[in-house]
Amino acid sequence: MFDFVVKYFGFLKHVPILPHLFEALLRLGTVASNRFVLDYMDDIENTVLSWDKTSIQPHKFGGVQFNVGNREIGHIHGNGLVDVPFKRSTKEELIIESKGKVKEHHIFKKSGWISLYVQNTADKDLAIRVLMRSYEEKF
Amino acid sequence: MQPLTAKQKQDSRYAVIVPNIIAFVLVGIARYAVPQDDAFTGASGVFVFSTFVIVPVLMGLVGAYFWRDLQRKTIRYIGLAVINTLIAVVLSVVFLREGIICLLIVSPLVLIFVTAGTLLGKVIFRRRNNTINVSLVGALLLVFAVDVLSDHEFTAKVSDTIIVNAPVEKVWPLVVEYEPITQKENYWLFKIGMPSPVQSTVDGHEAGAGRKCIFSNGYVFDEKMVVYKPNEELTFDIVSQPRDPEIMGHIDIQRGQFILMDNGNGTTTLIGNSWYKLYVFPVVYFDAWAESITRNVHLRVMDHIKTQAEAGV
Repeated sequence: MFDFVVKYFGFLKHVPILPHLFEALLRLGTVASNRFVLDYMDDIENTVLSWDKTSIQPHKFGGVQFNVGNREIGHIHGNGLVDVPFKRSTKEELIIESKGKVKEHHIFKKSGWISLYVQNTADKDLAIRVLMRSYEEKF
Repeated sequence: MQPLTAKQKQDSRYAVIVPNIIAFVLVGIARYAVPQDDAFTGASGVFVFSTFVIVPVLMGLVGAYFWRDLQRKTIRYIGLAVINTLIAVVLSVVFLREGIICLLIVSPLVLIFVTAGTLLGKVIFRRRNNTINVSLVGALLLVFAVDVLSDHEFTAKVSDTIIVNAPVEKVWPLVVEYEPITQKENYWLFKIGMPSPVQSTVDGHEAGAGRKCIFSNGYVFDEKMVVYKPNEELTFDIVSQPRDPEIMGHIDIQRGQFILMDNGNGTTTLIGNSWYKLYVFPVVYFDAWAESITRNVHLRVMDHIKTQAEAGV
């Protein structure tokens, strides 16, 4: 459902408020399905913000984007989906290292972006490690 | 968890009180700034899209602003949004005299936008960029002002068609007037108390004669038949309709119509049309409800006509 909306209605991100409405719906859905995901997302946010020179901003699709300086480290959507930009070679490495937990980006499969769903503590730890790697590359 | 300081306790309270005061003032401004309808319709006022979109987003942003130093979890921010929505709903009951069904329809919309504003506020107030934050609130207020001062006009038509297994001569008298509908309600809004059509009576059988459509709670729509073509078409204008705190205060049914077509095989195609005017925006949300309600009014009447005609009444 998420992928469908992003793929076919992604152009609506330019309409003010709509991305945040989408994010609110995602988070309300997460409250209903697995509210602990929101806590994992908070932990990820707090951890990333504890790193030097990091900041957050609303993502263009309504999630939370993490930056170091002006460069994006990655972002997280309200359903626990973490997207992180890498070079393609790093992406392949991460997919193998994580034994498939880290996947190709849910939309841009040929890019260097990776995606992973945070559903439990292990996923959260993995997401933090992946974001740390992105942070170290960009810092 | 550390106990809250006096300042943090105060901020916690303000996160609930201030957004609702702001909403109360803005909704009040919107209601008095937007021209009310005339005495004929007596509509309970236009609710512009800002009332259900911009104001809830602002409520969320303001609530999140007061929580910016409390480092609370997202789930608690969502809780704050739920509380602020509930308070706004209660204030609507008290001050705007809105009915329960109306609030049932509106609440999900308000909750989603308050939540969107609250979660957006959680992120942007962590950035500590006051220029962006003030600009955002300013932009929302500007949209609010433009929306309130703009014209709001929306009319639509709903059309439904059924096949009645009876000749047109049997169907026509039932279209003009029908005995009380005794069939159980099957539309969920009717089941929980929204008035549904029960009976129709006429005081003549010609164009210009009066017609009454009586609803389940005793409400009466006074109609004037403007086209009366036996076995073909009945069109009537609504001359007066009840106002109540429920949805009827926010929608005007302007005209109704039944078109009958003889299918030449002993059956009749019956088409029911209604034209209505909405007083609540955004249309994309409320027209979906208006269409659903109007459609179910049609179908309740048309199904009754079908049952009666096919039974040979």
